[in-house]
Amino acid sequence: MGRHAVKDSLYLAWRYLTHQPAKTTLLVLALTTFLGLPMVMRAMSSVIQRSLLARAEATPLLLGKKGSSLDLVIESLYFQPKGVEALTAADVTEVDATGLAQAIPLRTGLMSRTFPLVGTTLDYFSFRDLSLSSGRMLATLGECVLGAEAAQELDLGPGDAVTTSPSTMFDLAGVYPLRMRVVGVLAQAHGPDDRAVFVDLKTAWIAEGLGHGHQDLATAAGDVLLKSKNDVTTANAKLVQYNEISEANLDSFHFHGDAERYPVSAVIAVPANEKSGVLLRGRFLDDSTRQLLRPAQVVEGLNDQIFRFERVLRIIVSTVGAATGLMFLLVMLLSWRLRADELRTMERLGCSRFKAMQIMGAEVFLMVGTSVVAAALFGLLMTQYGEGWLQNLILRGS
Amino acid sequence: MIELRNVLFRYAEGAFSLEVPALRVETAARAAAIGPSGSGKTTLLNLVSGIERPARGEVHTGGTRVDALSPAERRAFRITRIGFVFQEFLLLDYLDVRQNILYPYRLHPELRLDQEARDRAERLAEGLGVRRLLDRRPDELSQGERQRVAIARALVTSPELILADEPTGNLDPVTKNEVLDLLFEQCDALGMTLLMVTHDHALLDRFTQVIDVSKWGGTP
Repeated sequence: MGRHAVKDSLYLAWRYLTHQPAKTTLLVLALTTFLGLPMVMRAMSSVIQRSLLARAEATPLLLGKKGSSLDLVIESLYFQPKGVEALTAADVTEVDATGLAQAIPLRTGLMSRTFPLVGTTLDYFSFRDLSLSSGRMLATLGECVLGAEAAQELDLGPGDAVTTSPSTMFDLAGVYPLRMRVVGVLAQAHGPDDRAVFVDLKTAWIAEGLGHGHQDLATAAGDVLLKSKNDVTTANAKLVQYNEISEANLDSFHFHGDAERYPVSAVIAVPANEKSGVLLRGRFLDDSTRQLLRPAQVVEGLNDQIFRFERVLRIIVSTVGAATGLMFLLVMLLSWRLRADELRTMERLGCSRFKAMQIMGAEVFLMVGTSVVAAALFGLLMTQYGEGWLQNLILRGS
Repeated sequence: MIELRNVLFRYAEGAFSLEVPALRVETAARAAAIGPSGSGKTTLLNLVSGIERPARGEVHTGGTRVDALSPAERRAFRITRIGFVFQEFLLLDYLDVRQNILYPYRLHPELRLDQEARDRAERLAEGLGVRRLLDRRPDELSQGERQRVAIARALVTSPELILADEPTGNLDPVTKNEVLDLLFEQCDALGMTLLMVTHDHALLDRFTQVIDVSKWGGTP
């Protein structure tokens, strides 16, 4: 008997709520926000903190120029451009020469379409345990390997081409885009590597204009050459510059100046063992221009900041939530007042007060229930799929 | 059967009173309560149904002494044993016609909404000429159609008494007669007692009993 009574109340409540779709939707949305925000905040915060820390903990040591350690970690680990000052290739050699750690150089800060272009060596892929889902690894200049999400969003695969997006795109005297051949796509790694375009370090230098390829001066027309003295030949702008590295023009690509002075954004140092790591850190302890840091330590600091921010946010959300709750109550009370005729009819027909309250309660229950389910689903979706998006949001804003 | 003995009713404000020395309406009778506005016609229905409780006297409805029941018992008594028809129809916009007819079943656990009840609702809708409207909403119906639906709602639980408060007050003359015919027809078919408030003296010869309430109540 009781089960039927509850079923009838739920039925009447459901029919009333679906008869007022706009009002019901608005109330459910308000409640979902009220209930979902703290839930999503908590879930996301822990996921973000966990995922940030996981990548940082997987990176034992990071060498970079002195400056903001947080910016260095964010640019080197999460590929968010922060404009960190560059080391040189000589620093990579120096770390390697110590014999204490393997040095993996990183050149970041460039973009290919909307994805970060990362210049590195093949060691990076084995260090991060990145495998290919299709194609092959980098072999020669001008080739690139795409992260899984980058490949999916750009709809590119092995055999396609992608260009760099120099920041000086509209500067005629600046660096021109370099067309790169896609030779491989990485398997999903659930991290920043999924949204990166990887190239060889030298290709990265060519992309930023430090190396170039052009028409052979010996075969160039006479009016192209301006002067030739002591093995130095000067040509004018008519000389054909290559914006794509192919088998035919590969040999024409070259670098001027001392390669050891070419820029490297950071060096990941992978010590052979704990002792080597301590020794290596000791060597850079008093360095006035460079810092060798433990990324995990830096990210823990960032997490502390996130936690503090979250506490303030929780107070704000609770206040807004209380206001939303009161507003919901007010709307329901006004709604019941507007339905005075219906309540009077129920009373005259002989409906008990308990039953009338049960029907009203069923309306609240259905709306709150729907909101709880919607908030939980939203929280789950954000936890499952919103991690990358929120990670980007936090890192870009930091 | 309805029986009132030595009943006195006063609203709390004391501006109105209704004093009924004796009233008896036989089972299956068609009784009309008449009188000018404010004479106590609706109050009489409220006393008979237990919506109001007299200050003095006894109210017997269908063999039950209603004035002696607790408020909760009076509610249960109303919904299980009395059918109401109101002047303003009082149908629910968010339910279709079928669900409006079955509405009383949703309000009390003793009334079981089973297949028999659904069949009865269909038969009543057929008898009252609203079967084709069962899936429509009240706001899609004419005034006459709404009142027929309200009558079906009053009859669906097979009550022993129908209390109708000016059910034809909002209807045009043609519809008024049609609705009244249907109400009488259904009450006769189901053997129900009908007590109806009306202002329309032209209808009185259709009733078996006429109760002039003006001699019992009013504002002093």
